[in-house]
Amino acid sequence: MADSHLGFSAYNKVDQWGRNLVEERVYEGFAQVIEKIIEDIKPDVLVHAGDVFHHVRPKIRTLYIFKRELEKLSKKGIPTIIISGNHDSPKTSSTASPFDLFEGLENIHIIHNNEYQAIPIGDHLFHCIPFCLNNGAYLEQFSKIEPSGSDVLVMHGLIESLRDKRLRTVGEHELSDSFLKSYFSYVALGHYHNQKQVAKNAWYSGSIEYFNFGEASDSKGILQIDLNSKKVEQIEIIQKYMIDFPPMDCSGLSSMELAEKLLILCDKEEIKDKIIRINLKNVSRATLKDIDRQKIAKLGSPALFFKINPEYIDEKDKSDVQLDSTRLDEAFAGFLEDKSIKDFMPKAIKEDVKVYGTNVMKKAISIHNTERLNASE
Amino acid sequence: MNTAIDKDLLLKDKEMTSESALLEKKIITGMKTTTYKIISKDVREFHFIIPFDKRVELGEIFSIKDNAIMDDEITFLARITDIRHDSNYEGKWDTALKGTEFFDEDQIFNRVIAEPLGCIIFDKKSGKKEFKKSKTIPSKFSEVEKAQFEEFEVLKEKISSDLEVGYLRNGSKAVEEIPVGLNSKIMDHHMGVFATTGMGKSNFMKVFAASCMKRASKGISEFGLLIVDPHGEYLLGNRKKDSKDIKGLLHLTKYSGGLKCYSTDKKNALIPNVVEIKLGWDDIKPSDLFARYNDWSTPQKEGILSIERSIKRGSFQGKSWLEKIKDGESVVSAQYRDTTVDVITRRVEDILDLDYIDEHRSNVRDIISNLQMGMVTLIDMHRISERDELFLLSVLSRHILERYKDDDLNGARKNCLITIEEAQRVLGGGNGNISRFEMIAREGRKFGVGLCAITQQPKLIDKQLLSQFNTLIIMGLGDKNDRKCLEESAKQDLSTLDVEIQTLEKGEAIISTLNVPFPIPITIHLYEDYLERLKEKDNAEGNHEPKARKLSRPPK
Repeated sequence: MADSHLGFSAYNKVDQWGRNLVEERVYEGFAQVIEKIIEDIKPDVLVHAGDVFHHVRPKIRTLYIFKRELEKLSKKGIPTIIISGNHDSPKTSSTASPFDLFEGLENIHIIHNNEYQAIPIGDHLFHCIPFCLNNGAYLEQFSKIEPSGSDVLVMHGLIESLRDKRLRTVGEHELSDSFLKSYFSYVALGHYHNQKQVAKNAWYSGSIEYFNFGEASDSKGILQIDLNSKKVEQIEIIQKYMIDFPPMDCSGLSSMELAEKLLILCDKEEIKDKIIRINLKNVSRATLKDIDRQKIAKLGSPALFFKINPEYIDEKDKSDVQLDSTRLDEAFAGFLEDKSIKDFMPKAIKEDVKVYGTNVMKKAISIHNTERLNASE
Repeated sequence: MNTAIDKDLLLKDKEMTSESALLEKKIITGMKTTTYKIISKDVREFHFIIPFDKRVELGEIFSIKDNAIMDDEITFLARITDIRHDSNYEGKWDTALKGTEFFDEDQIFNRVIAEPLGCIIFDKKSGKKEFKKSKTIPSKFSEVEKAQFEEFEVLKEKISSDLEVGYLRNGSKAVEEIPVGLNSKIMDHHMGVFATTGMGKSNFMKVFAASCMKRASKGISEFGLLIVDPHGEYLLGNRKKDSKDIKGLLHLTKYSGGLKCYSTDKKNALIPNVVEIKLGWDDIKPSDLFARYNDWSTPQKEGILSIERSIKRGSFQGKSWLEKIKDGESVVSAQYRDTTVDVITRRVEDILDLDYIDEHRSNVRDIISNLQMGMVTLIDMHRISERDELFLLSVLSRHILERYKDDDLNGARKNCLITIEEAQRVLGGGNGNISRFEMIAREGRKFGVGLCAITQQPKLIDKQLLSQFNTLIIMGLGDKNDRKCLEESAKQDLSTLDVEIQTLEKGEAIISTLNVPFPIPITIHLYEDYLERLKEKDNAEGNHEPKARKLSRPPK
């Protein structure tokens, strides 16, 4: 398993004690998985491939939930390997790792502090590389591996071949494809929230929960692996609770007609306790405005979160000239060029402004891209 | 110092005072020496003479300052293409003489034949010196000197480019102030690297790749470079050679961000940043079989093409043609004889048994993405046979060309350059059978795919293809026919350099490419030295090697 993101909260909806509903759901999901593992699966070893916590300084409640579940595993004698991920690893020397609290538990091996460790369990050697601060550090830690003949690799980060090719900069949590060596019996990966096989012997187990609408079509759950037969079984834990409806074409619809369509779409039982996004395309501002706000609010009230995402027909032209956030530097340079042609900017300073400005933009893009590769905050 | 002519003229001057005004004009004053002066010949070839006991060498660059015409100062630069004995005596005087010191030293000299490179003209408008092609000759008796730094400096902007590979060569000495490079912008125009064994082809390719890696790691490369290495020398170098450590591309850790490595060799694939290369079954088309075997009979060829047609028609109902063959099903239509089908099946099974073929896994997509992002992508093919190497390269090249054709309108993707070692194997032309690579050579440029052909025998490469090569890196070539065929296809006139090409030493080369005023003589960096220099230079510029970042922890 991977990417539990304990402590993740969203959408302001709270229970009777004022606790964030999404946050509670994440805790429940985690408890459910542990229960299933202990009662049903009873594995020889449990691997968590990073991002147990959503924040590097988890709340007391988050820490408590984790401790409670970890103790269950420890007591049942299920050897458990956990590595730190980009979300729960300190990025500065002054920050302590939340995992320091859980050292010394029997059967529990937590590998953090950016250092490779090999854990022998059964016939296999588990090579664990926790979150590292940059690509060079990953390479350095990986180089420490000494294959034993029966090896499993546990890592957290985005494998290069999965990256969005449009992001032209290399993200800090990007793992080289070359790490997926064929001599590993299995490579357990975390970071990508969709269950996915990335090599013959390598899988992302995916997360259990949904953290943003980009994950609506992901397969979620955990994986059960037989290291001898190399069989991988996908195990679903929680029923799908995020629905991102395909865009509904609203051209020519009156507000009455649109309201009716929404009503049919949002069946009370269907959307109950789910995270719902309805996408409308070619809708006019006036039509959407005419629908009673209260009615919409009522329509979505059974859902855990309900959002209408309109793409206005009257704004389409503007969206065509939208800036590509990964090419802000080029846009800025173009903008300056335009200004200097029109003599709005003295030529003498143009080059300096351009060099300084584009460099700042490039840095910003690089940071932004790195964040895009992470789970949403 | 006055010349001999000077004295004679002065004596005559006393006798013929009436003609003195006319004669005075012909007195040459200020001439430093009787030699080192231009004596002939035309716009395309300068001859000057030097004392018989002075030494100059082929390829040395001389400057000729012409101050004869007032207000039009011009400095010609010329390279030596030949040196001959010459004298003012006639007949066989030199063999008739016995003993020494029977002759006047001023009367014998060496005649140096030099090819004009161009001239430096002071442009009054811009206030700068400019280098241009020379369209005139220096006036007779113009002084000739060894070219100085200031003259090279003017050349610099014309011949330095973004992908540094060496220094300008002056004779056999490198001019370390003037780096010479190749231009990224024309790298889809095909390039050829020609040299006999041991002249430094591999070293050149490593230096070239290092310069590409430098740009790629900074995200500013203009093209992706695919290097295929059948000898296993680029990845880590070859430690045995000359008992000196030969370094590989992996040693350039500083720019490792611009390099992706793949290997067919299981041992090399254990290196952390090397991927074990795999071709998937889906990557292979029936016509790829032609690349691995070249002895197909006509019915066998037709049989293979019939499989391709069946695939296009969708006759195999969801099963791939290779799956069908593996399952013992027939893929060739019934009209072919059993023996024909047997040969095809047996050869396909041979291919499927190759180590780098995998039913499911494939790196082709990633390799192309790397190239499109402008990375240097090295495919180490250590310890595989020649035909397996050609097969892999051929399948890869087909995919690259197909992808680039499809992505033609994608402005973000970068061009790519595919290198082929021993290119004469696949670019030989003849028998009307156009190989994959010939196709890339012919039409790749339209789609941004260039070829870098490396060969010892340019004469074996199809002449028409050779003429498509706009950049030629010529290292020592002993064979006359090889030189001749390059001279015929180069974009610049290389005929005068024939002697020099023949006498080039290891590490020396001549680069003929677009947008440079003349074929550039160059001393290629020694890769190991270049590595050190890159390290030092960039550290001085504040670009430090990306190290593994670590947090220092306070005590608990």
